[in-house]
Amino acid sequence: MKTISKLMVIVLLGSIFLFPQNDIKFEKPILISSAGQSADVTLAGMLLKKSKTEYKALPMAKEADLEGIKTLIIVPGFSSKGLGAAGISRDQEKARVNALVNAAKKKNIKILMLHIGGTARRGQQSDDFNQIAAEASTHMIVVKQGNEDKFFTKIASDKKIGIKVVDKMADAAAALKEVF
Amino acid sequence: MQKHHYTAILFLVATAVMAFIASKDFLKMYEHDKVFPSEALTKTGMLSDYLPNLKGSNGDTEVYFFDSGVQGGTTLVLGGTHPNEPSGYLTAVVLMENIKVTQGKVIVIPQACRSGFTCTDPMEALPLGYYLKSKSGDRYFSFGSRVSNWLDQWPDPEVYTHYPSGQKLSGFETRNLNRAYPGKAKGTLTERVAYAIVELIKKEKVDVAFDLHEAAPEIPIIKAIVVHEKAKDIGAMAVLNLEFEDLKYALEISPQNFRGLSHREWGDSTEVFPFLMETSNPIQGRLRGRTNADLIINGVDNNYKIALESGKLRIEYDPEGEPLSVRVARHLQGIHAVVEAFNGFYPERQIVYENVPSYSDIEANGLEVYLQ
Repeated sequence: MKTISKLMVIVLLGSIFLFPQNDIKFEKPILISSAGQSADVTLAGMLLKKSKTEYKALPMAKEADLEGIKTLIIVPGFSSKGLGAAGISRDQEKARVNALVNAAKKKNIKILMLHIGGTARRGQQSDDFNQIAAEASTHMIVVKQGNEDKFFTKIASDKKIGIKVVDKMADAAAALKEVF
Repeated sequence: MQKHHYTAILFLVATAVMAFIASKDFLKMYEHDKVFPSEALTKTGMLSDYLPNLKGSNGDTEVYFFDSGVQGGTTLVLGGTHPNEPSGYLTAVVLMENIKVTQGKVIVIPQACRSGFTCTDPMEALPLGYYLKSKSGDRYFSFGSRVSNWLDQWPDPEVYTHYPSGQKLSGFETRNLNRAYPGKAKGTLTERVAYAIVELIKKEKVDVAFDLHEAAPEIPIIKAIVVHEKAKDIGAMAVLNLEFEDLKYALEISPQNFRGLSHREWGDSTEVFPFLMETSNPIQGRLRGRTNADLIINGVDNNYKIALESGKLRIEYDPEGEPLSVRVARHLQGIHAVVEAFNGFYPERQIVYENVPSYSDIEANGLEVYLQ
């Protein structure tokens, strides 16, 4: 009997460490922000709307915007047009994102990384934003096309972060619903 | 002495023959491609109807109206803003040769920069046109320059100053229609064309407008829909719906500080929701090899293939090529998705059309059966 109990405890603990994504839960209110100023923030908003989840979207969110927020969703991906629209440089955007994720961590706000832009939001220009957002996150939802080289899977494994890889952007709506 | 005369005459005749042959090719660039609008056509107008000083110039171009007679919204489809980006022009042609409008109105300008169709860019070895199979046999389509013809607008300034923002760009851009909006009624030919298009958008109360483009494979915004910020929700919904059909598009928001472009100025100076769509066009690529009609139609370039195989290519490139038919199919499906999204947001201004081939129709049947 004791052996069975021990086995059950081991299985239970093992499942927690091996499959942390199954247990992850995020709370509302939600703030969505960008890392790289791509318009994927707008698409992320649409996905949350589809899953009937309320949110506030501020592509240029700063520390002060985290007041009262329980979950910060970071949508990474570089866009030169987006940076132009925001009127900032790449370095300024990196500084803003770093400051935002650090402030969120200090306030114990959970960070969810949502990468939905596929290959268009990967590569030299996007990957430092992807890395900052992924490493700062508690959980990641990634559309498969953007993870063909296992970029996010590797970060998830190295940093022991939960990751859910979905086939399509539209599938991310269900994945979001699961964690809220 | 006598012998020299004969040689001179011989050279003169040979030169005249060569000049005659060359001039035939040159003048062919001024001939208008034949298009065959569908039976739904209700009116053919000219761009000069919106700015009379364009009349008789190479900036004047045909405007085709397809009005259902049923109250609804209006959409404008612009092809040929850059005549060296053929999928935009061909998309407008396929649309107008097949469309049947059941609600609202569709307006098509297949050759927005008509002047640019009368020349090609110097030093680029570009073909003057290409033949495509159609229901009525082989049809010729002009290929042109990115910008208006020098013969229509000369000389270029050292620096182009955009009106009215004062933004400075290189002198070459003075002839670029997509740097000239909102245009100027008494400006250069290109500024006047831009002005007339904006006037059309205002007078026809256009709700949704498309500017169809292509870009070199190495440009980051290929396979993208660029939207004015006021149209971002419509654009996002369209991108999501396109993904359901396995078509991946990036959504890009128009920068507020980059002036003169359709997706910025149409949105700022009129009520319209503007959308600019891009496909990947290897003939514009700096890495391209042999530059001919085959590259326009099949989009297969060996240099890009070699670069891809070497692992040095940091962009998405399909080694099987980017055929014109696929690029046209993407534009048509993109237009459809945006119009559907617009209808969802504004049900009181529906734009409904049918009989235009979808992406899968063209994938299955090719372009031929949709060209009259």
